Amino acid sequence: MNKEERYDIVIIGAGHNGTTTAAYLAKCGLSVCMLEERPECGGAQETCEPIAGVRIQPHAIANYGGSAPGWEQLELWKYGFRMDWKAGAIVPFDTDRYMTTSDGLSQVTDKDKMGYAKITGLLTDPPFFKDLMRATFWCPPHPPHVELNEHTIPFMQVYKQHQPDMWTRELLEWTMFDLMDEYLDTEPFKVNQAWIALVSGAHGHMEGAAIPALCSVATVMPPAVAMPVAPRGNIHGYYHALLRCAIAHGAVVRTCCPVEEIIIEHDRAVGVRLRDDATWGAKKIWANKAVISAVHIKPTFLEMIGPRHLDSGFLQRIKDLSLKGGSLYMTHYLTRERLRVRPKFQTPGYRYENYGSFTGPFFPNDSRELYFENVTEVMGHQRNLTIPPERAMYGMVAGETYAECHPQSTRPGVYINGPQWMLVPTPEYNVDGMDAMEDKVKWNEYMRKALSQVVENLDSDNIVQIIGESPREQEFRNTGMLGGSWYGLRCDRDQWWNERPLPELARYRVPGIDGLYLSHQSSAHPGGLCLMAVGYNLMHILIEDGIAEPGDWWYASPWYIPEKGKKSAIPSRPSSVATR
Amino acid sequence: MKKRELVGQPHPQCFFSEFPAESDWDAVVIGAGPNGLITAAYLARAGLKVAIVERRYEIGGGLATEEILYPGFYSNMHAIYHLMVDFMPAIKDFDMERHGLVWIKPNLQTAMVFEDGGSLLLTRMIEDTMDSFHKYSDKDAVAFGKLMRNWRRIVSEILAPATYIPAMAPIDLTVAMQRTEIGREMLELVEQSPLEIVNKNFENDRIRAFLLYISCMWGLDPRETGIGFYVPLLIDRGMNKCYLHGGSHKLAGALSREIVRAGGTILESSDVIKINRHNGSVTGVELMEGRTLNSDVVISSLDPHTTFFDLMDKKKLPTDLKESVERWKYDKWSFNTLHVVSKEAPHYACGDPWVDESFMTIFGFESTKQLLAHWDNVVAGKLDKNSLGGHATCESFLDSHLVRKPGNHISFFQIHAPYNLEGGWDKRGPEIKEAMLAKWEKAAPNMKRENIVMSTQETPKDIEIRFPNMRRGSIKHGDYTPIQMGCFRPNEACSNHNTPIKGLYLCGASTYPGGLVLGGPGYLAANRVAEDLGVKKWWKPTKEMEHYIKTYLT
Amino acid sequence: MTTDDYFGHMFQEFPENSEWDAVIIGAGPNGLMAAAYLAKAGLKVALIERRYEIGGGLATEEILYPCYSSNPHVIYHMMVDYMPVIKDFNLDGASLLWIKPNAQTAMVFEDGKSLLLTQMIEDTKDSISKFSFKDAVNFGKVMRSWRRIVDEIVAPATYVPTMTPIEMSMALQKTKVGQEMLELIEQSPLEIINHTFENDRVRALMLYASCMWGLDPRETGIGFFVPLLLDRGMNKCYCYGGSHKFASAMGRELVKAGGLILEHAEVNKIIVQNGRAAGVELAEGRTLRSKVVMSTLDPHTTFLDLVGAQHLDKDFKALIDGWKYDKWSFYTLHVASEEPPRYKCDDPWVNDAFMTIFGIESTEQLLAHWDNVVAGKIGANFGGHATCETLHDPHLSDKPGKHTSFFQMHAPYEIPGGWEKKGKEMEEAILAKWQKVAPNMKRENIIMTVHETPVDIETRFPNMRRGGIKHGDYKPIQLGSFRPNQECSSTRTPVEGLYVCGASTYPGGLVLGGPGYLGANKVAEDLGVKKWWKTTPEMERYIKTYLT
Repeated sequence: MNKEERYDIVIIGAGHNGTTTAAYLAKCGLSVCMLEERPECGGAQETCEPIAGVRIQPHAIANYGGSAPGWEQLELWKYGFRMDWKAGAIVPFDTDRYMTTSDGLSQVTDKDKMGYAKITGLLTDPPFFKDLMRATFWCPPHPPHVELNEHTIPFMQVYKQHQPDMWTRELLEWTMFDLMDEYLDTEPFKVNQAWIALVSGAHGHMEGAAIPALCSVATVMPPAVAMPVAPRGNIHGYYHALLRCAIAHGAVVRTCCPVEEIIIEHDRAVGVRLRDDATWGAKKIWANKAVISAVHIKPTFLEMIGPRHLDSGFLQRIKDLSLKGGSLYMTHYLTRERLRVRPKFQTPGYRYENYGSFTGPFFPNDSRELYFENVTEVMGHQRNLTIPPERAMYGMVAGETYAECHPQSTRPGVYINGPQWMLVPTPEYNVDGMDAMEDKVKWNEYMRKALSQVVENLDSDNIVQIIGESPREQEFRNTGMLGGSWYGLRCDRDQWWNERPLPELARYRVPGIDGLYLSHQSSAHPGGLCLMAVGYNLMHILIEDGIAEPGDWWYASPWYIPEKGKKSAIPSRPSSVATR
Repeated sequence: MKKRELVGQPHPQCFFSEFPAESDWDAVVIGAGPNGLITAAYLARAGLKVAIVERRYEIGGGLATEEILYPGFYSNMHAIYHLMVDFMPAIKDFDMERHGLVWIKPNLQTAMVFEDGGSLLLTRMIEDTMDSFHKYSDKDAVAFGKLMRNWRRIVSEILAPATYIPAMAPIDLTVAMQRTEIGREMLELVEQSPLEIVNKNFENDRIRAFLLYISCMWGLDPRETGIGFYVPLLIDRGMNKCYLHGGSHKLAGALSREIVRAGGTILESSDVIKINRHNGSVTGVELMEGRTLNSDVVISSLDPHTTFFDLMDKKKLPTDLKESVERWKYDKWSFNTLHVVSKEAPHYACGDPWVDESFMTIFGFESTKQLLAHWDNVVAGKLDKNSLGGHATCESFLDSHLVRKPGNHISFFQIHAPYNLEGGWDKRGPEIKEAMLAKWEKAAPNMKRENIVMSTQETPKDIEIRFPNMRRGSIKHGDYTPIQMGCFRPNEACSNHNTPIKGLYLCGASTYPGGLVLGGPGYLAANRVAEDLGVKKWWKPTKEMEHYIKTYLT
Repeated sequence: MTTDDYFGHMFQEFPENSEWDAVIIGAGPNGLMAAAYLAKAGLKVALIERRYEIGGGLATEEILYPCYSSNPHVIYHMMVDYMPVIKDFNLDGASLLWIKPNAQTAMVFEDGKSLLLTQMIEDTKDSISKFSFKDAVNFGKVMRSWRRIVDEIVAPATYVPTMTPIEMSMALQKTKVGQEMLELIEQSPLEIINHTFENDRVRALMLYASCMWGLDPRETGIGFFVPLLLDRGMNKCYCYGGSHKFASAMGRELVKAGGLILEHAEVNKIIVQNGRAAGVELAEGRTLRSKVVMSTLDPHTTFLDLVGAQHLDKDFKALIDGWKYDKWSFYTLHVASEEPPRYKCDDPWVNDAFMTIFGIESTEQLLAHWDNVVAGKIGANFGGHATCETLHDPHLSDKPGKHTSFFQMHAPYEIPGGWEKKGKEMEEAILAKWQKVAPNMKRENIIMTVHETPVDIETRFPNMRRGGIKHGDYKPIQLGSFRPNQECSSTRTPVEGLYVCGASTYPGGLVLGGPGYLGANKVAEDLGVKKWWKTTPEMERYIKTYLT
C-alpha cells in the first residue's frame, strides 16, 4: 500500500516532449513527477535489440534539434550527450551531391546549392540559419491580440532582417514547391527535399507551409548539419541525456503507470488517477501547480477528461484533428553481406570496399508528378499502396550511415540496414480497414522490391531477416503515435503555429481548465522531430502564469510576444548564456 | 574493434556542446549491470564523482526488460526470478519503494507437471507444499516440513547475511560455524552433494527430481560435494522468488536514478577498450569512440578474462594472477530460451488448478534419472530432443505491462543448454526450437501453432552476443565449483574486490559471492572502495547482517 | 357586446392600444436581431410574429411526429464566424454551441467514388487529388486568395451598408485582393469553375456548392458569390440542439432588455398617417402605435398588402411589382430511420459529412437538372443533398438510437400535375436514388417519412412567397444596392418611419444576419439612439481599407 503523492507538477507521458518539459521545470526547482505507461521511458526516441546484437530504431532516427536552446539551457553534455560525427562523412557545402532517379543519378547543380543555401540562411555572414530554425520552431505562437502577418510571424521577421529580397507576403502563402521553383534548379533535388519534408511532417505541397516544411528538412539535411546526424547510443542516447538532466534536478519518474483520468475539481486540473494495473499502489497523484499532458491530444481530451467536462462542439473538433499523412511503414534488413548499390546509382566516390560508402537512398526523385502520384495514393485514395513498388517513394538509412565505432550490429557476420520508411495510409482512414497493412509478409516484400531498385544484392541469399513494422503496430507500441502518425497531427496550415492543435489551445493552455497544459507533438507547436521545442515554448507560458521561475540560465525567444496582462517570460536581468 | 580518432570535430553548423573528450573522476565503474549500478550508486551518494560506462545502448545488464518480441511485446529475457529481495541491503538503503518498485511474491512459486497429469508444487507457505507432497509420499511431506524449519534458519541467519559480508577462508568459516547448532548443521550439509542431500531426505522419486531441479538449476553439479549449503539456500529462496512488477529493468532504472541524482554520470554505448595504467596503478579508461575518463579508481564488473586480458596488457600482470585468470572456468551450462507470444496463456494438463497460476512451471522430466541424464548430456555438449525439459513462466500473467497489444500473452520456456552444442546452434537451433514447442504442447495442450502469434529463441550464443562478458553464455560469469566459490571467487587475490593492481577493483558476478542478482559483489566492492579511499559510509549493515556478525565474527 | 360586459375582467390582457418606439414585423432571424439590438439600446420594442412560434426559418420542429424533430428550414449556418450578433450577444459557447465538422460536404457518385469538401483545405485537396492532382493544386492556390477575398472583403462587407456598383469597384481597386474580386464579379460561376478546374466531377461539386442557394450558374456579375459560398461552404456550422435555439437565445435577449414578443399576431396593416408609418394593426383588432415600424417581410407583403398601394408613388410601386422571387425552391424529404444512411463509397469520412450530395454525375446533368427546375419540371436526372441530423445532434430523436435525416433538392414552385400528386411520386424516386448510394436506406430501415414541397414552405412561411427562401432571387439587379431596390437597400423606405430589414433587403437571406443588423443600425442613427455595440475587427479593417 503506497500513500497518495503530491507534487508541484505532474507530467503525463515520458516521451521526448514530456521529458523536456520535466527537465526544464525540475531545473526551475519545482517538484516534478513524470508518469509513463510503458516499461521504458523515451516514447519515440527509442532503440531496441529484437535480435541479440542487432539494434534498430523503431521511430525517430536523426537529431533534428541541432538549433535548440535546450543544449545550452539544459546542458545535456553534462549528462553524457554525444554525437557521432562520422569522420569524413561531414558533407561540406561544395562536395558533389546526387539525387537518385529511376534513370540514374541527377547531379545537384550549383544553382540548387546556392539557392538552397540562400533560403536556409547560409549565404549571409554570419549565417542566419540558426535564427531561421529558432524562429520557426523555438518560439511560442503569438497571443491572440497579435495580428499574424509578414511583420509579426517570426520566420518572416528573420527574412525581413537578413534576406530582405526574399521577404514577400507570398512566402506565407506558398507551398514548398512554389518556394523551390523560385530559388532552386533541378527537379529531382526539389522532389527529394519535398519528400523529406513529407516524412518530416510538413508536407512540401501544402499551402502556406513552405518555410516550416523547408526548415524541417534543412534542420537535418546537408549542408546544414553533418551526416550522420545520429547521436551516440542513437536517438535513445540523446533521450538518456535529457532524462538524466530531469532526474539530476530531482524529477521523479514512474514507469508502467498509465493515467486513466485527469482529475478536475472546480474547473481546475488538480491531479491524475492511474489505471488499476499501474505498478504504483497509490492510484492518485496530486499536482499543486499544474498537470501537463505530454500524451496525444485525442486521448487527453476524449478519454482522460471526456464529455463530463467538455462540450460536444469542442470534442467534435478534437475528433476531427487530422492524423493523415504521418504514417510510415518501416523495415530493417538483416543481411549477410553489406548492401551493394547498383552501378547506375554509384556516385563517383562510391567504393563498395569502403565502409560508409552506402548511407541509404531516397528514391525515386524523378518528378513532382511521381511525388504527387505517391501522395494521392496515400492521402487521396486512402488505401493500401497500389502503385508498383518500382514507383513507390521511400527513404532509407543504411547501417553504414553510422560511425564505424558505433556499429549497429555486433552480431558476427550480419549487417543491419534500416530503417527504410514509406508513407502509407493511416489505419483510421484506410478504406481497406484498420488492419489492412497487417499482412507483413506482403508489405515487407513490397518494401524489399522498392529498395531493390537501388540495391542489387537484396535477395533471399543475402537477407537473414526482414523486420517490418506497420502503422497499426506502431500505434499499439506507442500510444503517442496514434494512427502510427509520426507527427501526431499533420502540419498543414490548419494545424500549425497558432492553429496547432486548435486556435484556443495554441498557447499550450486549456481554456476553462486551469492548471492544465499541453506538451505533446500532437497538441502543441511546433510538433514532433524531438526538437526540445515544445518544452521550451511551453516554458514561456508557464512563466507567464507564474508557475515556473527559471534561474539566469533561461532566455526567452527573441520573437516571443508576452500575453497582455501576464508576466513576461523575458528575464529582467540579461541571461548569462549567450543566445548565439 | 579498433579505436578510431575521436569523432568529435563537430560540423561548423553545430550549435551544441558534447560530453568532453577527456574528463576526471573519483571512480569509474565498468559495466552497468546490477552490481556495477549498485557500486556506483553507493559511492556516488557517498560523495564521490562517479562515472559508470556501459557498452550496450541501455543499462541493466541482466536486469533487462526489452521488446525482443518486436513489435509490441516486452520480455524479461534474462533475470526474472529475484531470489534475494528479502535480504539485499541496496533495496533498503535506497528505499526502492520510493522509486515505485513493487515486488510480487506469489504463493504459487514453482510447479512441476508430469505426463500422467500428476504435479508438484513448491509454495511460499510450507504447508501448501506439504499438501502437494502428500499426493506422493506422506513421509516426504513431513520430512519437508521438518527440514525447512532448520533450513530457513540456516538461510536467514547465516547464508543470506553472509552474502553481503566479505568472504572468509574455509578454515575460518568452519571455526566460526562451530559456534552454533545450525552452524554445525550447515557444515554437515556443505560436505554433501545436492544429490546426496535430496536422496537422503526424500524417498519419492518425483519429489526428489523436483527438489533436485530447484537446487541445481542455476548451475550446480548435483554430484559435487562441498557445495551442499546451496540446497537449503536455493530451495528456501526458490520458495521466495519475487517478480518485479513492470519488469526487472525497473530495478536498474531506480538504481540509475540514484546515481544521477547523487551527481554521477552514466554513459551508454561506451565500449571500454583499455584500462589505462601508469607505473602499476590504474589511471582511467579509454572508450572506443576515443574519449578518455581519468580516474585513480576503476571498478570492473566484467568477467576476469575481459578485465585482465582484454582491457589490460596481459604481459604486465603478476604471474599468479595471470594463471588464475587462465584457470578460470565458465559456467558448466548456459540456457536456451524460447520466447513466445500467444493468444492464450499456457494451460497445463494436470489435476491441480493452481499449477496454471504458478510463477515457474517445470516440465519434461519424469524421473531423477532422466533429469540427471539431461544434465549429463548438456555438460557433454549434447541435447537429446526427446528427453529435454526445463521451466516455463507466463510473464503477462503477472504483468500486463509487457504486452502492448491487448489480449495476448507472453511466456518463455527455458532449458539448460551447452554453449558448444554438438552440430552447432546455427544449424540445430531450429530443430531444438521445434522440439521445445512440442514438449511444451505436450505439457500444455493449448500451446499449439494456432495459439502462437510469434516466437523467438535466444541460444547461449545469443546471450554472449547480447552480453559479451557472459562468456560462453555464462550468466554467472563463471562456474560454481568449490574452487571458484567463497574466497576463491575469482581467486584469492581478488575475492575481496580489490586486486593486485593498485586502483583496480572488481564488482561483478565473477567475484564473491557470485551471480543471480544477489547484489553482493556490488555492495561489497562499494564497501571496499569506500574503506580504501577513507570515504565515510552513509549506510549501515542490515539487522540480519549485524546479527550474523555478532554471532559468528566477533 | 363582449363577454366582459357581463362578467367584467377576470384577468388583465394585453391592451387594445399600446405605444412603442419600434414595432418589428416578423420574428425571423433578422427581426429578432433588429429587435434585440434596439431593445438593448433602450428603445421600447415590440416584435410581432404571425406563427405560434418565433424563429421563422430558424425552426426546429417535430415534423416527424411523434418523437422526431428536424430543422425543416435553416440548418447550415454559414456566417457564424463573422456575424456581429454572435459576438455582441455572446452567443458562442455560453448560450449556444456551434458544431463545425471537418467533413463538411461530400459528393458521392454511383460508381462508389466520392469527393469531399472539408474545413481543412488539405483534406479537400487530398480528396480532389483522386480525380485530378492539377485540380487539387489549383484548389489550394485559389482558396489562398479566395479565403482572403472572403475574410477581408465579402464577409465584413455583409454588415456594412451597401455601396453603388461604381463606388464599389472604385473602392476595390485599392488592393490586389480587391482587384482579384472585381475580376471574379465579371464572370459567371460556371466560367470561374470551368476555368479553375479540369475534372468534370470536381467541377460538378464546386458548381453545386456555389450555386445551390439559388445562383444562375451562367449569369455574370455575381461571380463573387463563388469564393463566398465555397469558403463558407467549408465552414458551415450546426447549431447544437437545433437552429431554433438560435431564435430563442435572441428572444431571451430581447425580453431581458425589456422588449415584447407577440406570437400569433398577424399584422393586418401598417398604419400610415400623413405619409408616415405610425404603427400596425393586428388581425385580432389590437393596435400598436410606434415611432418606427420595421418589416422583415417580402416587398410585396410589406408594401402592397400592409402599407397599401395608395400610399406609394407609381414608380416605386412599379419597382415592387418588378420584384422577382427565387428562381427555385426546395423539395425536402424528411426521414426517421433505424440506422443513419451509410454511403457505399471510397472514403470513410463521407459517412461523417455534414452534407452529402448525390444523384449528380456530371456538370452537364447538374445544369440540365437546374434548367428543368427553372422550367418548372423535375426529370429523372434530379439530384440533391442529404444530411443526417442526428449524427451531429442526438437530441433530435426522442427514441434513443434512431436517426432523422433529410434529402433536399431544388424544385419549382409550380409543377405540372401539382405538388399534391407529385409530392408522393418524388418520395419514391428519392428513396430509390438514395438507396443506390446508401444501400441501407431501404424501407425496412425507414420508420417514417414526411415531405415538404415548395407549396408547404409557403404555407408555413407565407412571406417566403412561391417557396422563395431568400424572399427574392439573387441576380445582379436584385443584389447589393438594388436589393430590394435603390430606394430601400439602405433599409430606409420612401415611407418615413418604415424600414425593411428582411432577407429581401441588402445583403440578403441565408441567415446572414445582415439586414437585421443594418436595420438596427439605421434606426438607431435615425432616432439618435446611442449604439452600445462596436463593429467587429474584420469590419473595421474593411472600413479602414476600402471606405476611408
